[in-house]
Amino acid sequence: MNKHFNLLFLATENLLRHRTKTIVVCLCIVAILTPFITAIAISEGVREKSLISVNAGADLYLTFDEFGRNAAVPLKYLDEIKKIFGVTKVTPRIIGRGFLQNKLAVIVGLNKEDIPESISCISGRMFENANEVVVGHELARHFHLNIGDQFSMRCQQRKTFTVVGFFSSDSSIWGSSLIFMSFRDAGELFGKQDVSTDIQIYSLPGHNSEIATDLYDILQNEPYRLQDKHMIGLYVKKGFMLKEGVFSALYLVAFALGVPAILVAAGFGLSERKKEIGIMKATGWQTLEVLELISFEQLLISLMGATIAILLSILWVKGFRGVFIAQFFIAEITMLPKFPLPARFLPLPCLLSFFLAFLMTMVGSVYSSWRASTVSPVVSMK
Amino acid sequence: MEGINGVTGSVDEIMIRTENLCKSYRQHSQYEVRAIYDISVNISKSSFMVFNGPSGSGKTTLLNIIGTLDRPTAGKVFMYGEEITSFSDIALARLRREKIGFIFQDFHLIPRLTSWENVAYPLIPLGAGFTERFERAKFLLEKMGLGDRLEHAPEELSGGQQQRVAIARALINNPEIIIADEPTSNIDDETSAHVRQFLGELNARGVTILVATHDTLFEKIADVTFKMKNGRIV
Repeated sequence: MNKHFNLLFLATENLLRHRTKTIVVCLCIVAILTPFITAIAISEGVREKSLISVNAGADLYLTFDEFGRNAAVPLKYLDEIKKIFGVTKVTPRIIGRGFLQNKLAVIVGLNKEDIPESISCISGRMFENANEVVVGHELARHFHLNIGDQFSMRCQQRKTFTVVGFFSSDSSIWGSSLIFMSFRDAGELFGKQDVSTDIQIYSLPGHNSEIATDLYDILQNEPYRLQDKHMIGLYVKKGFMLKEGVFSALYLVAFALGVPAILVAAGFGLSERKKEIGIMKATGWQTLEVLELISFEQLLISLMGATIAILLSILWVKGFRGVFIAQFFIAEITMLPKFPLPARFLPLPCLLSFFLAFLMTMVGSVYSSWRASTVSPVVSMK
Repeated sequence: MEGINGVTGSVDEIMIRTENLCKSYRQHSQYEVRAIYDISVNISKSSFMVFNGPSGSGKTTLLNIIGTLDRPTAGKVFMYGEEITSFSDIALARLRREKIGFIFQDFHLIPRLTSWENVAYPLIPLGAGFTERFERAKFLLEKMGLGDRLEHAPEELSGGQQQRVAIARALINNPEIIIADEPTSNIDDETSAHVRQFLGELNARGVTILVATHDTLFEKIADVTFKMKNGRIV
């Protein structure tokens, strides 16, 4: 056991003695791993927030189906749906997108009594009257909007809205570019009366399949689409997996480009190392002991590099709000987000980062060390 | 006993025996260069043997093979009657660790280590603790007159001092054999005399000494001197 401690201490000393090499390899690891850890953390954070929203939302989502895509649902079915046994609440809503000058905004129209309790304003109040809106902080900041200001949207310029409140900056990330208004106003804005983009159905536990059967009876001649909370959750997960997959694929290219940098850095002083290994072998060191020492060195440098990368990632997300990288994972966000991002630093990606760092440094050092330690000491010492 | 190539030593005293050792190298994958050719020697325990000859005569190659730092192209080396040329690398490393100490012409000290760390380096894989390593290295360096140079890096030492550090390192595991390759060629006359005297003292204590050298003064303290030329003992 003492032998292994000796080798571990010696590895630590060697890293301190070769400060330049240690710093260069560490920087390479940090440069490669930090964006990876940051991206995964943001993705996980956004996914978690999405799933929380889905779980807090309705049990069933009803839309019509047109050309294989979601289409608006006529409101005429609303009363019948409300009467289905097991349905506790039915909420029609309009979700659309429109330009406010040159900036794309998400417009949500909801009846006042259907506004979830979780939604609150940082300042001002919730809309009460016609043409009153609550605006997301990102939009408000962009257009320097104040309470009482009036604006109109590009799609319906005759209709003028008055700002009565703002969403807080720590509200859901989707709140950043949101314009929240009454269901009626949203219908007027898009020129669609008596329809909603979807109907949210809240139900008693275990009643979804019976409700689905009743809906089939009500809508049997209509092309409709019914999705439950579980399915929506799966879509969210799949969507993020796809994004993470695309990012990982791009990242693999960067990783492949980064490995030679590590190899060059790890190869610093290779001839000196080769000679040292020859001396070690000549004085009785076994090949395995030499490799153990080298592995300890790489282990320590990987730990150091990965730890710094994780800390920098936390700083990147918490301190700099995922600048330059958040837009990979959050749609319609600027390169310099103005609000705190949701992020989760899970153990698995952190362990994976450490493993990647270890792999990179081992690739750069172990083969050459193994070659040096398996030839005759005379050859290594030359 | 009169051994092969006229080597002294009775049969039961023989520590190392070589049989028809050959070593050849390929240069640029075309020409084969024979470094040593058909060398058979017997080396008695506690003897002081000098291999003398011009550059390229094969004395370093011979000592490298006897010291297990290199393998022969043909022939065998026996230590205490056991053929060591067939040993695995692990077994050879163990043999070097337990029985052999090396002194090299170029000292072969690790530049970024201090004197005492260089001396104690072979003890690290043996699991010796810091204090034990330091005390043993200090003891040997003090014996070599370098008690005030424990924390000096090799580059801060003269050639003679570096060679004495290398000698101390060779002695750290109490070896039975010291193999010295041109131990005095890179140092001044005064230090050379000190090295010769020290090797003589070690030999008097029962350590087998094998030296490859141009230095004819070694012949005065050697039991046997082999003259080598063109890879053969002449």
